Amino acid sequence: MKKLILTLAAVAMAFGMMAQNVKTVPENVDVKTLDGKTVQTSVIKNDGKPIILSFWATWCKPCNKELDAISEVYEDWQAETGVKLIAVSIDDVKSSARVKPWVNGKGWEYDVYLDANQEFKRAMNVVNVPHTFVINGKGEVVWEHTSYVDGSEAELFEVVKKAMEAASEAE
Amino acid sequence: MLIAALVAFGLTSKAQNVLGGGQVSGNIQLDGQISRADSLIGSENVPEKLLMNARADILYTNGNFSAGLRFEAYQNPMLGFNAAYKGQGIANYFAAYNGEKLGITAGNFYDQFGNGMILRAYEDRYLGLDNSIRGFNVKYRPIEGITLKGVIGQQRVYWDYGQGIVRGLDGEINLNSVIKPFAESKTRITLGAGFVSKYEADETVPSSVPGYKLNIPQNVGAASVRMDLSHGGWGLQAEYARKGQDPNVLNDYIYHEGEALFLSASYSQKGFSANVQAKRVDNMGFKSVRSQSGEMLYINYIPAITKQHTYAFLTLYPYATQNTGEMGLTGDVMYKIKKGTVLGGKYGTDIHFNASWIAALDTTTIGGRGTEGYTATYFGTGDAYYADATVEVAKKFSSKHKLVATYGYVLFNPIVEGHAGDMHHNHVFIADYTWKINKKNVLRLEAELLESDSKYTPEVDDKRCGDWIMGLVEYNFTSNFFACFSDQYCYRDGNGANYPQLSVGYTHNATRLQLGYGKQREGIICIGGVCRQVPASNGLTFSLTHSF
Repeated sequence: MKKLILTLAAVAMAFGMMAQNVKTVPENVDVKTLDGKTVQTSVIKNDGKPIILSFWATWCKPCNKELDAISEVYEDWQAETGVKLIAVSIDDVKSSARVKPWVNGKGWEYDVYLDANQEFKRAMNVVNVPHTFVINGKGEVVWEHTSYVDGSEAELFEVVKKAMEAASEAE
Repeated sequence: MLIAALVAFGLTSKAQNVLGGGQVSGNIQLDGQISRADSLIGSENVPEKLLMNARADILYTNGNFSAGLRFEAYQNPMLGFNAAYKGQGIANYFAAYNGEKLGITAGNFYDQFGNGMILRAYEDRYLGLDNSIRGFNVKYRPIEGITLKGVIGQQRVYWDYGQGIVRGLDGEINLNSVIKPFAESKTRITLGAGFVSKYEADETVPSSVPGYKLNIPQNVGAASVRMDLSHGGWGLQAEYARKGQDPNVLNDYIYHEGEALFLSASYSQKGFSANVQAKRVDNMGFKSVRSQSGEMLYINYIPAITKQHTYAFLTLYPYATQNTGEMGLTGDVMYKIKKGTVLGGKYGTDIHFNASWIAALDTTTIGGRGTEGYTATYFGTGDAYYADATVEVAKKFSSKHKLVATYGYVLFNPIVEGHAGDMHHNHVFIADYTWKINKKNVLRLEAELLESDSKYTPEVDDKRCGDWIMGLVEYNFTSNFFACFSDQYCYRDGNGANYPQLSVGYTHNATRLQLGYGKQREGIICIGGVCRQVPASNGLTFSLTHSF
């Protein structure tokens, strides 16, 4: 009986509130900069322009393919839409010390944060990496996708452009 | 349990009436297998035919307030998961306020002090690990650059909570934020310190001297100091931890104090990076229940510093940290040969070199249970546990063709997995080729070969094999659909084990469905554009994940 009540509670909670849903990024989850300083996720801002929020790890090959591929066209994407890519590494202490040299060595021009105990990952309901979000100028998640295959960054950029256009139409 | 129901009901009503707005998010995961027996890979015939793990996290957020719960069901637990998970119910719940300065969580929480050497509450759903602490967690940030934390609670063990109470305090300061003239300095410094104490009531543990019992400490403390220093492309991280006398089942009730040191130095610039890490661990197994063996109820986390490989044959013999004592070194160098040079070609060539070496401490035994146990020299080493070296060359030939070639050497001592056997040497050769046929179609081919001096010895381990060969074909249609066939075959000095596996998957936004048929070895698998840990299976497997 207890179990039934609990199950019903969970279901009620899920469905009772599902209706009113616009996903945003929580403000006060702790993450670290590559220099080791603790900051809150309120730093994830881009002056009303779109953001690509990408969860990745050094050991994740598709993640690295995605970030490498975007890196090659990042300047063009920025020039066209003002988009900013924020890469959140979920490497735990096994590999978190490798992230900074990894990012510099790759020459990625992204803002990178460390989420070594995966609090931010949990807050964003990320299950597997890569998991990529597109956030519009109002801070709303307008698209998310898990998995990357060579070439699928083109689809991502289409979404970013749409988010950009929607924002300028609203103005 | 009833509290969980109340919290859930309370939240539902709050969300609709009092607070208004707010948002609900969550994720659902279902994993199942219909497995057939196979002694070679360790899968068994199960009377229930279907094994399934399921979980759903539901998170409610409204401004600075959030609350969540997790429903888990193991009907029955899949292969590789502890049978104690059997059952279902609301496993975790919490309510939290997270303001700019103050954060409070009541209920289950995860947290980490520094590198986790004295405290790390974390979960790994694919490994069936959850040592979350149920209790209170308070974070306070008086000014920018200072974070203070306090935690108290008991740790989850399957569907229960360990009787030990974990208490901890941690402080961290970023000098550049706090000292004004230092704000713009190129040198960035963060310092931190933490203290953790465990309380567990006395219990009777017989001494090695008949008729006597051990004098067990009810409170055990551990402390650590750490720093993170960087200057331009240079970086240095260090943490040192000590633990008081903690006789427990991991160290067979000896009174030797625990100690751990972690060092990491790196230099990087665009196109080049180097990183060296060193670690020494001495009797640092720290659990909230002293009689608990196995993987649960760890308060701290001592990471394996060896590289996390993802190619199948490089993960065949993975290293596992020896909390009782080990010493290790690892190094990583990445270099990009520039575009337009002879070796770099049109796109440049990436070279990645990595090597690790881990050995036992150099110890002298004093006595058994109830004594200091042993003494250890600081820099001396005993038997090698593990060593590896890999070279990876990634070369893009054109916008359509890319090849990653890898050579790896692995030295493995079976004692790290807790069983006897000879140390063996393995050579691994891998070719990973990607052909982007056009905008929507991508083909990936992978071939691996493992040459080992390990021999098949049925008395010791019927899963062992000497030499392996593997082939993989993966076809992707955009990032939405994939099909993959792979086969691993023990072709020499072994039991002839064969692992053919067919997988297909469909991904739409944050929903992913994957089906597999065949034999699968446990480990990290990166196909269809994501990486995840999978359990051993023989038969049909399915997996559904969805985030909302």
